[in-house]
Amino acid sequence: MSERMNCREAIELLQDYLKQELTPESADLITAHLQRCRHCFDHAEYERKFLLMLERKAGGQCCPERLRLKILARLRTPDPS
Amino acid sequence: MSQPSAAPQTFEAEVLPQLDSLYRLALRLTTDPMRAEDLVQDTVLKAFRAWHRFQPGTSVRSWLFTILRNTFINDYRRRQREPIAMDIEAAEPLAAFRPAADEDPEGAYFDQIVDAKVLEAIDALPDDFREVLVLSDVEHMSYAEIAEVLGLPIGTVKSRLFRARRQLQRTLYDYAVEMGYLKPRPAPEARP
Repeated sequence: MSERMNCREAIELLQDYLKQELTPESADLITAHLQRCRHCFDHAEYERKFLLMLERKAGGQCCPERLRLKILARLRTPDPS
Repeated sequence: MSQPSAAPQTFEAEVLPQLDSLYRLALRLTTDPMRAEDLVQDTVLKAFRAWHRFQPGTSVRSWLFTILRNTFINDYRRRQREPIAMDIEAAEPLAAFRPAADEDPEGAYFDQIVDAKVLEAIDALPDDFREVLVLSDVEHMSYAEIAEVLGLPIGTVKSRLFRARRQLQRTLYDYAVEMGYLKPRPAPEARP
């Protein structure tokens, strides 16, 4: 494996890097690349903001209380099926 | 010695804390709140009947997601929502980072987009893209867990995720330009 990573390789792996899905060796190569490449660093920030935004804007919906109660009532009847 | 099976009294304690996640996944799969509620209820009742088959020590959320998704595919999926003859694995949406980079490299415009618009953009993704994106980036499952729930090789999960995120970024970028949060990128010849 080459000890340096180019921009194309880095950008293809950025999302997996941010999701901590890379091997430690690959993650280290990306970290090293981001330290010396401003463009890829900015791209990583963009991907990081995107993932945070998804979590904040789509992760907050809750099961309606009415549905929770309905399910509980079904489970607690003698024959819930 | 056979594997111990889960005790019935633990069902509520294990499953009820997952209702928010189940509801979010059901909403994104059905794109309809009423159908999502029915899907969650069907899922929990199926899980209740199958609880003796759940292996303690494994992820109850993965198990429930698998039941929910199978129920969705068998009983809820509307055939007409299938993506029109398009090879989604081959589609390579344009990256939105490059056009957005000059004006807003850190993607601060994401904050200006209202939640409902983001959800609408997720719901507009093809089914195969939407489910991996929600499992990974909303529900925070690992790629390996997603591969197991969807019965796909991990490489397919990765490539679908990459394309799903690209497509969503592009949609949100176009929306931000339309709303005036970002200036449209000038044509190359107009630049100094």
